[in-house]
Amino acid sequence: MTAKTTALFETHRQLGAKLTDFGGWEMPLSYPSGTIAEHLACRRGAAVFDVSHLGTVVVEGSGARDRVQAALTNNIDKVAPGRAQYTHLLDPNDASVIDDIIVVWVAEERFFVMPNASNTENVIGVLGGTDITRNRSVLALQGPSAMGIAASFDPTIAEMKRFRVQEFRFGGEDGHVSTTGYTGEQGVEFSVPNSVAPQLFGELIERGAIPAGLGARDTLRLEAGLPLHGHELGPGITPYEAGLGWVVDLSKPEFRGRDALLHQEQSGRRYSLVGVMASSRQPLRADMELRRPEGELVGRVSSGNFSPMLGVGIGLAFVTSPVAVHDYLEVGQGKNVRRVEVVDLPFVSKAYAKT
Amino acid sequence: MELPKELKYTADHEWVKLDGGRVWVGITDYAQDALGDIVFVGLPKVGDTCSAGSSIAEVESTKSVSDIYAPVSGEVVSVNEALLENPEILNSDPYDGGWICEISVTDLSAVDALLDSDAYQALIA
Repeated sequence: MTAKTTALFETHRQLGAKLTDFGGWEMPLSYPSGTIAEHLACRRGAAVFDVSHLGTVVVEGSGARDRVQAALTNNIDKVAPGRAQYTHLLDPNDASVIDDIIVVWVAEERFFVMPNASNTENVIGVLGGTDITRNRSVLALQGPSAMGIAASFDPTIAEMKRFRVQEFRFGGEDGHVSTTGYTGEQGVEFSVPNSVAPQLFGELIERGAIPAGLGARDTLRLEAGLPLHGHELGPGITPYEAGLGWVVDLSKPEFRGRDALLHQEQSGRRYSLVGVMASSRQPLRADMELRRPEGELVGRVSSGNFSPMLGVGIGLAFVTSPVAVHDYLEVGQGKNVRRVEVVDLPFVSKAYAKT
Repeated sequence: MELPKELKYTADHEWVKLDGGRVWVGITDYAQDALGDIVFVGLPKVGDTCSAGSSIAEVESTKSVSDIYAPVSGEVVSVNEALLENPEILNSDPYDGGWICEISVTDLSAVDALLDSDAYQALIA
């Protein structure tokens, strides 16, 4: 199978990006400035990411709201048209998180449902709708300077609270802008027709954003304690076990996987998600085993790397027996044993106020 | 991609600089570029003995973990401790400031047998 490319593929090549396969898409891993510089640009200024590989499924028409409400774990009535919501799609058999999704409530009976790249088919299977992934580009502009740069295109963006959506006109084309992201920073995600995407990407760079790749996207979301499907979410993991119980509204009488979720809760949670921090620069890595100093195996790292902000290795980990913040655990064996400390999440404080 | 003529190279992307009976060892420009941003270096200890092809150090980037192999047999006589706090030197200055360790060589003819810059160039082309 040939890898899919986004409308910005040539732009990435001209910028000298290193490319990588991600969920069947050939995407920028990093640009010549490198992952760490891109990460720090996002924490200190602004970075722009091509995230057009994320899916967009349009669910619209009479009954659209009911379909969204019946399929997904969160309660769409907590929000309203013009707002966005983070939610999960569960496996009805065992309440595993099939995907984590942003639902953008564009208009009364019109939703943009945004799953991970590889899960678009699953979502259409459950919700119906039309896949417009290949027709539009999504550019994430993130960082403390992001809102200012975005407002230089449309001053009304400055007034947007977090998780809001509104129309965005650029280059004579209609698109949308939402105050969402995956970095722990303030920022927006633009969804625009492919024809104007290279121009928008270029203008964002001219106005001060540093182009950033999937490498920085991963270290940023890790520092922010945000889950990645296939690591913190996936088969055998319920939303509660991933520490995301707030995504589930059990006051809804029905949603896909609700019965299985209640059943799993009755038999007890199998693990919980915690943060662990090393005392040196050496990164933690997925699949490392975590043991208590006396040797008991208590869990496994699900995602790990180096934290550019903290200067040490960090990881998200599932533990099967209780651990407390400040507990010391160990990774590695023999002379390579390293001590790690259980810490509060996120590793790096979220920059935005809760709204 | 920078490839100094006066150095020797290995197929594992290390460079070797002969200096009397000793060699300086590091990773090539090609290797640092392929690894991406290097965030951690695990150094050998002075006095460690190594045999050609054995792992003597470890380099970790934001995306991977890589072993560094001894290009020749011998004894580690010094290590570049600046890399402990500033591993990014491996990215910015791979052939000079980014040296990893210095090895006192058991058999100097082993150095001659390593790749020259043309042979290494052909390997990575």
